[in-house]
Order: sequence, then structure tokens, then C-alpha cells
Amino acid sequence: MKILDEKEPALLKRAVRGDEGAFLVLYQKHQASLYRYALRMTGSPWAAEEVVQEVFLLLIREPQKFQPDRGALGAFLFGVTRNRVMKHLERLPREDSLDAINANGTTWREPEDPLTPMMIAEKSERIEQVREAVLGLPTEFREAVVLCELEEMSYEEAAQACGCPVGTIRSRLHRGRALLLAKLELLRDAPRRASAGAK
Amino acid sequence: MSCEQFELSGLDMDRPDAQPEEAVSAREHAASCERCFALLQSWRELKQDLRFLQENTRFLSAPARVEMRLKQELRTRREARVPRSTVAIATWALAAAAALAVAVGWMHWRDGSPSRIVNKAAVSSSSRSGTIAPDSSMLLAADSDSGAFTRLPASMPSPYENREILQVRMQRGALGRFGLPVAQDRAAEWVQVDFLIGEDGVPQAVRLHDDSQLDSTLQ
Repeated sequence: MKILDEKEPALLKRAVRGDEGAFLVLYQKHQASLYRYALRMTGSPWAAEEVVQEVFLLLIREPQKFQPDRGALGAFLFGVTRNRVMKHLERLPREDSLDAINANGTTWREPEDPLTPMMIAEKSERIEQVREAVLGLPTEFREAVVLCELEEMSYEEAAQACGCPVGTIRSRLHRGRALLLAKLELLRDAPRRASAGAK
Repeated sequence: MSCEQFELSGLDMDRPDAQPEEAVSAREHAASCERCFALLQSWRELKQDLRFLQENTRFLSAPARVEMRLKQELRTRREARVPRSTVAIATWALAAAAALAVAVGWMHWRDGSPSRIVNKAAVSSSSRSGTIAPDSSMLLAADSDSGAFTRLPASMPSPYENREILQVRMQRGALGRFGLPVAQDRAAEWVQVDFLIGEDGVPQAVRLHDDSQLDSTLQ
């Protein structure tokens, strides 16, 4: 049986006994989504890195906290990540902006795009504005936007991840969208739509 | 659909998990309401920007140094676990060895090899009459201690003193050195003897075990 075919609880048992290969399978499967969520919520590559590290250290040191009968490993890891992110956000004011440096220490680059330099510059500016606007949202609205719009979760999945009813997620997303529209309309000097969005 | 309903759920019309009826209703409302149509247009622009942001961060993952640190943690824990198991095995081995040593020692003692019993024996006053009986609290092995002591010739009885008992396996003929008469035909027999030693280190009384009865020895 190949290691990739093994179920996650079995892999976790092996990993805790010191099997690096089993651990890496689990790590590679989950780390990127957890890192992106933490990064989009905190706006700090360093904080996101720390959160991911803490989450997997917890998995190594206290594997008994994961109970397979209560849900999948991915959901457990996301729950732990979310708790760490919330603690981070409560503890610190927002840190450096997402645009600064990515986790590998290099500046983020736009994907290859057949656009003119002017269009690329405009696009970068818009991405930056959206990024700033998302990071400026109150935590619960930001989380709804991150999960439902950036992570492309359904309302049910987002509600499950946040441990709240679907209606709460919808409400938060509605409010988050309105705030985003208002911010961006103001930034782009188009107040005609901002009033409608902010209602 | 009203404008309030459109603001609440109309913007979901493009989502894959939107209800088809709601999406149709929202489109119809946006087509007929200029304000809601403007809101929908703003939202679609924002959605496009969010998609750019999503693409911009889609392939991000934790840096390699996190993986390295976690692997190091795994190795450290694995290495720490090995000595712990070694210590556990060594502890059990030592405990087993100690138990074995105690068992062998006890068996050796039971076999009657010369050994000094260091337990103090409180001697009863019955020694005044020449026979010294051990006190009931004496710790000498009870199963071999049923007989009474016979005072050796020329020894001074000193009741109520604390004495020591010396267990010796010896030839019956050697008892003659303590002034006891020994039958010559049995002098070569090996017997188990308890000596009651006074505080001055001199034997004061003697007791023979089991079938090696003192009376027969002293014939």
C-alpha cells in the first residue's frame, strides 16, 4: 500500500511515531490552504508562517487532540488555524501589508499577463486596493469574505468552519461586501455607487 | 423581489450555490431597477478584483523553512524517545537482577551456608537454669528455631542481655572444642549449629538443628 493511499488517522499515527514520510504527506496536503487563509486574514507573511508552524507542532506534540470520529483532519487543522489567527488578531494591531514580501523573502509577482505595462500597473493598483480594503474589514466580516469569496467555500462550508449558522455567514458576507464596496468606491472616486453599497 | 431583498441575496446570483429561482428573480429586479443594477455592476467589478487578488495568492504556501523546522521537531522527538525506552529497559533489567540476587541469596541462606545472623536476640530469663530459650520476638528464622539453647560449659549466664546468634555448619567433632562431649563414631557428621554469642564475642550457648539432636551429640 502506497503511503499516499493511507487514511489520514493512520498517517498521523505513523507521523507521531517519527515517520517523516507520513508527516510530509499530511503537511503537504494541508499547509498551503492553511497558510493562505492565515495570510489573507492577518496580512502578514510572518504571522501566517508562525500560525502554520504552531498548528503542525500541535499536531506533532498533542496528536490526541484530533479525534477522527469528530471530523476530518483538514477541518480540525482549519479550526486550530482559525483559533490561532483570531488570537493573533486580538493580540496585535495589523502588521505589515501583504504587498511587502512573500514568505520566501521575495517580492510578490503578478502572474504572466499579456497586458500592456499601463494595464499591468492599473491591475496591480486595484489588487492592492482590494487587499487593503479586505484587511481593513472587521474580523468577522473579513473572515466571511475570505472564506466565501477568496477560498470559494460554500455558505455551508464556511458556516461549519466558523462554527456558526449559515444565516450568520450570509449576513456577515452581505455586510462585508457592502463595506468593501463603500471603501473601494471612495478610493476610486466613484461615490455614486458607494451609498448604495454601504446601506 | 424588492430592493432590500436584492441587497441581501441578489448579489449571490452569480455564485455556484445560488438558488436558481432567486437568481432569476434577482436578474429580473436588476433589469428593472437602476439603483440595484448599479449595485450589481459595482459588485461585479469588486468580484473581478477579488478574483485577481485570489489568483495573486493562489499558489502561495508556507515557506520551506517551516517544513524544515517541523521535520527537526519530529527528529528531536524521535531521538528523545529512544533513550527513554533504553532507560526503561535498563531499569527493568536492574530490577530483575536485584530480584534474582535476593532470591539466590535467600536460597543460599536456606541451604545453610555459614552466615552471620545480625538480628539481635533478646534472651529470656530461663537461661538461669542452664537452658536459654529465645524470646518470641527473636527474628531468627522461626522454622529452624524451635529448639532451646544449651549453655556451654564454663560460660557465664547473663540473662536479659542482647545477644547475637551465629549460624554455622560444622562437623560434630568440632563441638568438642567448646567443651562438649562428642561421640567419636559420629564426629565426622556435618551438623547445623546455632551459637549464642555474648557481647564479648564468646559463645555462651549452643543449639543443634533438625535431626542433629544435641542430646545425641553429647553422648
